[in-house]
Amino acid sequence: MSTASLHSEHHTHDHHDHHHKESFISKYVFSMDHKMISKQFLITGIIMGILGMTMSMLFRLQLAWPDEQFGILQTLLGKWAVDGKLDPNFYMGLVTIHGTIMVFYVLTAGLSGTFSNLLIPLQVGARDMASPFMNMLSYWFFFMSSVVLTISVFIETGPASGGWTVYPPLSALEKAMPGSGLGMTLWLVAIALFIVSSLLGGINYISTVLNMRTKGMSMNRMPLTIWAFFFTAVLGLLSFPVLLGAALFLIFDRSFGTSFYLSDIYLEGVGALENIGGSPILYQHLFWFLGHPEVYIILMPALGITSEVISTNARKPIFGYTAMIISLMGISFLSFIVWGHHMFITGMNPFLGSVFMILTLIIAVPSAVKVFNYLTTLWRGNLRFNPAMLFSIGLVSFFISGGLTGIYLGNAALDIQLHDSYFVVAHFHLVMGSAAIFGMFAGIYHWFPKMYGRMLNQNLGYFHFWLTFIAAYLVFFPMHFMGLAGVPRRYYMFTLVKDFEIWGDTNKLITVAALVGGFAQLLFLYNFFYSMFRGKKATQNPWGSNTLEWSTPVEHLHGNWPGEIPTVYRGPYEYSRPDREEDFFPQYVPDESAPEVLEPVKTKSAPQTEEVKETEESTVFFAAIKKVFGLS
Amino acid sequence: MVTVAQKKIKDKAPLVAPAKLNIWLFMLASSMLFSALVSAFIVHQPDAKAKATWTMFNLPTYFLFSLIISTLSSITMYLAFKNAKNDELIKNRLYLVVTLALGLLFCVSQYLGWNELVAMKLTFVNPRPEDISASYVWMITAVHVVHVLGGIILLAVGIFKSFKLEIHKKQLTFMSVTHTYWHFVGLLWFILYLFLYFAR
Repeated sequence: MSTASLHSEHHTHDHHDHHHKESFISKYVFSMDHKMISKQFLITGIIMGILGMTMSMLFRLQLAWPDEQFGILQTLLGKWAVDGKLDPNFYMGLVTIHGTIMVFYVLTAGLSGTFSNLLIPLQVGARDMASPFMNMLSYWFFFMSSVVLTISVFIETGPASGGWTVYPPLSALEKAMPGSGLGMTLWLVAIALFIVSSLLGGINYISTVLNMRTKGMSMNRMPLTIWAFFFTAVLGLLSFPVLLGAALFLIFDRSFGTSFYLSDIYLEGVGALENIGGSPILYQHLFWFLGHPEVYIILMPALGITSEVISTNARKPIFGYTAMIISLMGISFLSFIVWGHHMFITGMNPFLGSVFMILTLIIAVPSAVKVFNYLTTLWRGNLRFNPAMLFSIGLVSFFISGGLTGIYLGNAALDIQLHDSYFVVAHFHLVMGSAAIFGMFAGIYHWFPKMYGRMLNQNLGYFHFWLTFIAAYLVFFPMHFMGLAGVPRRYYMFTLVKDFEIWGDTNKLITVAALVGGFAQLLFLYNFFYSMFRGKKATQNPWGSNTLEWSTPVEHLHGNWPGEIPTVYRGPYEYSRPDREEDFFPQYVPDESAPEVLEPVKTKSAPQTEEVKETEESTVFFAAIKKVFGLS
Repeated sequence: MVTVAQKKIKDKAPLVAPAKLNIWLFMLASSMLFSALVSAFIVHQPDAKAKATWTMFNLPTYFLFSLIISTLSSITMYLAFKNAKNDELIKNRLYLVVTLALGLLFCVSQYLGWNELVAMKLTFVNPRPEDISASYVWMITAVHVVHVLGGIILLAVGIFKSFKLEIHKKQLTFMSVTHTYWHFVGLLWFILYLFLYFAR
C-alpha cells in the first residue's frame, strides 16, 4: 500500500520499488498527508473565519446605527433586512452563528487542526500521523460539519438563534423562536459531526506525540508547541464526548419528545407542555464541562505557538521551559473543575459557587507563570520584529489585559452584576478571541514558508498587525465600561432603554473600529493568497530556528525527510549559546566539540528493541506509557 | 504510507503499534461519554425525587442475561486471542465466530430487555412525567449497544481477515485491538448494569 511519492514537481523514483502516481484527488482532496490536511484545515478555517467576521460586521452595523436603513443590506440579505434594517430574529441568528463559527470552526479546528497537523509530525520527527486515514476522516468530518452549519444560515426559518451555548428550553422547543426549528437541528448535526472530527484528530495527535517521536526526542526535548498541542488534544478527547452526551439529550428532547431538560414550560400562553421532570440546568452542567476546557482548547495552541515564535525571534532560550510545561499541565487540569463559574447565577448553592470561584482564581497562577516567562524571554533578547513576533507579543498583551478581567468574572459575587453583560463579551473576546487569533496569525506568518515554500510579504504583515491590534483594543476595551454599567449582551438595540442611550457613541466607535479591523483582514487575505503563488521563495530555515521541521526540504515530500529522520541531540531552544558561532544550535545538529553527545543520545525513552513483544494487552499499554514518561 | 522497508532506512520504530494506542484513546473518550450520561443521571435524580418525578423500577431480567452473555463472550474472545498468539488459526476462527454470535445474542437480549421495559409502560418517551428515570435507562443502554455494534463490526472484519490468513502469531495488531475493545464493551456493560441496578 505504497503511495510513496514525492510531493514536488520533480518526482523521483529511486527510493522505492513500486510507485503509485498520485492523482489530483488523492493529492489535494482525499489526501492522507498531514501537511496537505493541515492546509485543508487552514483554508477551510479561513473561509469560515471570513463568514464569521462578516456576520460580526452585520450585527455591529445594527448596534451602531439601529435606526439607519442600509439599502445594501436588503440587497444582500433579502427578507432578513427589509427596508435595509436587520431583522431581530436574524440578528440573534448572526450572534449565535458568529459565536459557533469562531469558537469551534476557526479557533478550534482552524487553529489546532492546522498547526497540530502541520507541526506534530514535523517537530517530533515522524513520517506522518499515527493514522493518516483517521486524519483524513477528521478533516472531512470537519468539512461536512462546516457545510451543514453554513447551509443552516440560508434556510427560511434562519439559523439557530439561542446563542452559541444553545441553552434549552429555548433551543429545545421548536416554537420557542424561529431559529429553534430546522436551524437548530442543523446546528446539532453540524456539532455532532464536529465532535467526531475533533475526536478523530485528537486521538491521532496524542498517539503521534506519545508514540512516534524520533531518536533522542524525549518528552523533555519537545518544543512547547508540541506540548501545547498535546494537552489541547487531551482536553478535547476528554471534554468533547461530554458535549456529545449533552447534544444527544438535546436531540432526543427536541425530536423524540423526552424530557431530560424540559419541565413546566408555558408556551404561547396555552398552559404547560407535557414535558415534566427535566432539568435545564443539567444542560448547562454538561455543556460547560466541555465549554470551559474548550476555551483552553482554543487558547493553548496559540500559547504554544507563541512560545516557539518568541524564543526564536528573541534569539534566547525560552525562559522556564519546564515551568511552561507545568503551567500548561496545571491549566489543563484546572480547566476541568471550574465549569461552575459559568453558572453562578443559576441558583447554585453559594458554597458550591465559592468552591468554583477559588478553583477559578487558582488558574491565574499558571497563567501568570506563562506571562512572566514570555516577558522574561523577551527581556534583553535580540528581538527581531517580524510579523510573527509582533503577533506573538500582541497575544501576550491580550492575554494580560483579557486575563485580568477573568479574575473579576470568576468572583461569584461580582458575577451577579457582570453576568451576561458586555463585560463578559470584552473579557472573552480579548483573552480567548483576540489572543487565540493572534496566536494563529503568528503561526501562519512563522510557518507559511514551511507550508507553501514561500514567504509572506513583511510590510503587508506590519500593516495587518498594527491595524488589527489597534482595532481589536478599540472594539473590545470600551465594552468593559458598558458591561460595568450593566449593558446586557446579545440585545438587538439599546435605543428603547433610556439608561443605555448614552452608549450610542461608544457603539459607533466600536463598529467603526470593527470595520477597520475587518479591512485589515483583507490585507491579510490578499497577502496570503498572493504569496502562496507569487511570494518570495523561502529558504530552508528562514528564521534560523532550532526545531526539526526546518530540517526538511522546502519542497514537500511524502514522509517528510528524504533520508533518515534526523536524530535529536538537545532541547529546542538553544539560541545564542556563547560557545557557538551562530546564534542558534538546531536540535538535529550533533555537537562536534562535545564528544559525549556524538553518539545518538541514550535517553530513557529510547527503545531497546525494535518492536514491543506481543504480551498481555494491558502490560503492553502500561509499559508503553511508562517508557514514554521515562518511568521504566 | 512510506514504510521503513520500502525506503531501506532505519527510523526509530514506534513504541507500540499506533492502532493499539488509538483504541485505548478511543476507549478513554467513550468512557467520558458514559461518564457524562451517568453523571447526568446522578445529578438529575435527587432533584427529580424531590418533585416525585422519578419512578423506581426493577431492571428487566434480560439485562442480567446480557451480562452473562457478555461475560461468556469475553471468555471466548480471550480464547480467540490466545489461539491467534499460538498460531492455532482454526480455533482462533472458531472462537471469533462464537464471540460474534454471542455479540449478536447480546443485542437481541438487550432488545428483549427493552421490550420488557415497554411492557412495564416505561417507554423512552415517557407519557408519565415520573418516568424520566426510564428515559435514562433507555439512553444509557442504547448508547452502549451502539458501542457493541462497533465491536461486532470489528469482529466481522476480524473473521474476514482470519479467513484471509491475515491473523497469525506475527500479525496480531488487529486481533489485539478487537480483543481490547471487546473486553471494554463487556466491562462497560458490567459497570453500567451495576450502576443502574443500584442507582435507579
